[in-house]
Amino acid sequence: MEYDVVIGIEIHCELKTKSKMFSAGLTSFGKQANTCVNEIDLGHPGTLPTVNKEAVKKALQACIALHLEIDSLVKFDRKNYYYSDLPKGFQITQQFHPLGRHGYITIHVDGQSKRIGINRIHMEEDTAKQYHLDEVTLIDYNRAGTPLIEIVSEPDMTSGKEAAAYVEALRQTLYYLGVSDVKMEEGSLRCDVNVSLKPKGSSVFGVKNEIKNLNSISNVEKAIDYEIKRQKDILDAGGVIEQATRRYDETTKTTVLMRKKEGSVDYKFFPEPNILPIQLDPKWIEEITNHLGELPNARKERFMKDYGLSEYDAMLLIDNKELGEYYQEVMKTCKNPKLAANWVIGDLQAILSKNNLTIQTTCIPSVSLAKLVNMIEDKTISGKQAKEVFELMVQGKDPEVIVKEKGMKQVSDEASILAMINEVLDENQQSITDYKNGKDRAIGFLVGQVMKKSKGQANPAMTNALVLQEIAKR
Amino acid sequence: MNIIEMLKDGNDQKHVVDAYELALKVQPSINAVVTFIDPCKQLEEVKEGKLKGIPVALKDNVNTKGIKTTASSKILENYIPVYDATIVKKLKDAGAVIIAKTSMDELAMGGTNLSAATGPVYNPYDVTRISGGSSGGSAAVVASGVVPLAIGSDTGDSIRKPASFCGVVGVKPTYGRISRYGIIPYASSLDHVGYFTRNVKDAALALEVLAGYDPMDATSSQREVPEYSKLINSDITGKKVIVFKNVLNHMNNEETLALFQRVIDGLKTKGAIVKEVTFNEELMKAILPTYHVIANCEATANHSNLDGIRFGNKQEGSDTFEIMCNTRSQGLSSSIRKRFVIGSYALFEENQEKYLKQAQRVRRMIVEEISSYLKDADVLIAPASNAAAPKIADVLAKHVEEDLVAENHMVFANFSGYPSMTLPMGYIHQHLPVGVNITANAFKEVDMFSIGSVIEEITGLKDAYKEVK
Repeated sequence: MEYDVVIGIEIHCELKTKSKMFSAGLTSFGKQANTCVNEIDLGHPGTLPTVNKEAVKKALQACIALHLEIDSLVKFDRKNYYYSDLPKGFQITQQFHPLGRHGYITIHVDGQSKRIGINRIHMEEDTAKQYHLDEVTLIDYNRAGTPLIEIVSEPDMTSGKEAAAYVEALRQTLYYLGVSDVKMEEGSLRCDVNVSLKPKGSSVFGVKNEIKNLNSISNVEKAIDYEIKRQKDILDAGGVIEQATRRYDETTKTTVLMRKKEGSVDYKFFPEPNILPIQLDPKWIEEITNHLGELPNARKERFMKDYGLSEYDAMLLIDNKELGEYYQEVMKTCKNPKLAANWVIGDLQAILSKNNLTIQTTCIPSVSLAKLVNMIEDKTISGKQAKEVFELMVQGKDPEVIVKEKGMKQVSDEASILAMINEVLDENQQSITDYKNGKDRAIGFLVGQVMKKSKGQANPAMTNALVLQEIAKR
Repeated sequence: MNIIEMLKDGNDQKHVVDAYELALKVQPSINAVVTFIDPCKQLEEVKEGKLKGIPVALKDNVNTKGIKTTASSKILENYIPVYDATIVKKLKDAGAVIIAKTSMDELAMGGTNLSAATGPVYNPYDVTRISGGSSGGSAAVVASGVVPLAIGSDTGDSIRKPASFCGVVGVKPTYGRISRYGIIPYASSLDHVGYFTRNVKDAALALEVLAGYDPMDATSSQREVPEYSKLINSDITGKKVIVFKNVLNHMNNEETLALFQRVIDGLKTKGAIVKEVTFNEELMKAILPTYHVIANCEATANHSNLDGIRFGNKQEGSDTFEIMCNTRSQGLSSSIRKRFVIGSYALFEENQEKYLKQAQRVRRMIVEEISSYLKDADVLIAPASNAAAPKIADVLAKHVEEDLVAENHMVFANFSGYPSMTLPMGYIHQHLPVGVNITANAFKEVDMFSIGSVIEEITGLKDAYKEVK
């Protein structure tokens, strides 16, 4: 039987703020356990929440960038449940009045564009992190109270590939906005996926399974593809799908049952009495809107338009925000955008990964790369020479200095090349004869002789063309 | 001595030490204190300020860094806070010296002070009677002359009722006027921090110190704090006073009603215009059920942090969930757990519309009803209670009807957040105090203090206290 696949995704994204959602406690990653906490984060008696304005700003940036309608009257609610990672015994969230509703993001899969709806974005606080050992449970409260946004998609995706593209597009947008580190492996972006199947064309949704805590985008795709097949096999065999929460097991590449859903939990949501509704100033929202910064799609289009890059090259340059920004810097003084793009995407990235560096830690200033490309463009040095120069640039040297020290200047002066060619031709009558008898290889030898005479500085392309021209005259 | 006299006299050391010694001396009789705080160290670093050298007591739900704060509950019997409540800093910055943490009903839930983990607080005027609650310990130490100022908290009438029973001034200012940061809560939307003194001028001065915006409390008001003590105006000519006729109709104690009539007559003599109006009777009867629903809903969530995991009287268990269950069932008394169950029930998704949301709508109607009268008047007055403090034995034997309108009408000042104050009205059965309550419009504490100062003249009960043998 054929099925329609229905996929919805909930993403929890830690906001990159200095302090916590409802306290002045510092946010942290990788700090010593329980050092970034205050009495509020620990839910001590008598503490009260205050709203972190920077977190609201970052949540607003996400809402605006993803085209959500903003509810400018900010309200919070309590979600009540007992769990040892939840200090207050309730989480402050936005159940009834999310900050944003009804937005979308555009994804690109197999050359097709598709809009994925975003149902809501709301603000909330993170829980503590628990480590269950054999005998004891350890709790690190550093994470408790960290600002989060939860981004809930519409059930608009139909394949693992689309889901992965959605998460990647969101990740990229949130990263460009600077609202989050979006590191799935470190948990600053956490992804729960709902998958259900229904008979093709049916309007009735099937029973969904939730796959929790997927720690990479490729696992999102793999887990969904596995889950689709699992559900399809059950349905094809006449079975029924039970609603459950599952997790993805990386070693077996399957989804594993965590718990069956037995009725939904009643979280007894009610409005948080300690935070009165906050009316956001429309001017503030406008200011945030006007200073969102460039988003990935806009940058891609600008790169194609301003630099004449192909869509493919532009995509490669926006995939890594900092790489694209480095390229822009290069282009401030560089004459050949395409050649510069090739160097940034190719040689630069290769050398960075070889030396375990990132674009942020590279020792090659953008202006140096621009000089290098310009020297190729000016025919000052050959492409081959450029590779040699680049190797030395990694040590922090200026390319012009390298060229000078190595005496590498390329000779592109036609008269002096011609003079050398004629000398070589005069000295190698046999090769001329060979060439005329159909031995094309002789040209290579002659060009090589000219290069040798010029100490490798003759422009090879020019030399090649001029040798052919001169040999024809004889 | 009252605050003003102590400040004038200036003998800081002596006032504080005397207060501390008296607190210890009367403790066996009134049992008002949970933790005594030896003032020696504080006396070395008393700051210059409006309360320089004034001994004060704090209700034991006011967090004091490094000093045990139990909220009179077994679950917090060894809880030592890591931070000071905002008002503790304010008091110390003003030069006050804290000598005691006072007994209260467990987690501030109750009106008798019989549920305190350290046992009942005995009324200084008659130790067989209750002090009232939940701020009973604070009321008792002020009434017995130990300190001229004690902090309390008021969610239903937890300052104003014990003030009536103990014959002292009890103030609950406007919601948001005094920071709640660091006060172990009961129900956040109803909780007010307030205090007890023995006269109105002291009360006005104390508010100057305690009030003010606190960035740690998102419900705190940014309004300027006036110099209340200088703004008290005993010329009340033309001031409009309203009385809810049907609140009086619910009362039957002839002596109380006579004392109240004396106050009314006195105010009229001083030029006030007194008008009797009728509060919607249906809404009047709805006050208490509405209160119970809202308070219990908020309380059950507010106290979900008491799980033994990070602080408090932790009980053993095989996993964290069992630890939480054991800690709560052994650390909280059954009456508290009953309130939490009721609160949880009213919060269930299928019940919330019927109970909590309905209660919130009724709360708004009650507030609208009050403000419709108060908007054309300056204050509203009523007896703070119908009868004197009941006998402890009668309360325990359930001979005292608790849910009477006559005894619970003051809750509407918690619903509305309006400033409200009880001060002594007179004595019934010859020796038992009963108070009169004044409620003013939001942030009009000055009106409340002005009328209060005139009532003080009428009753002659300024600085009244009861020496405890």
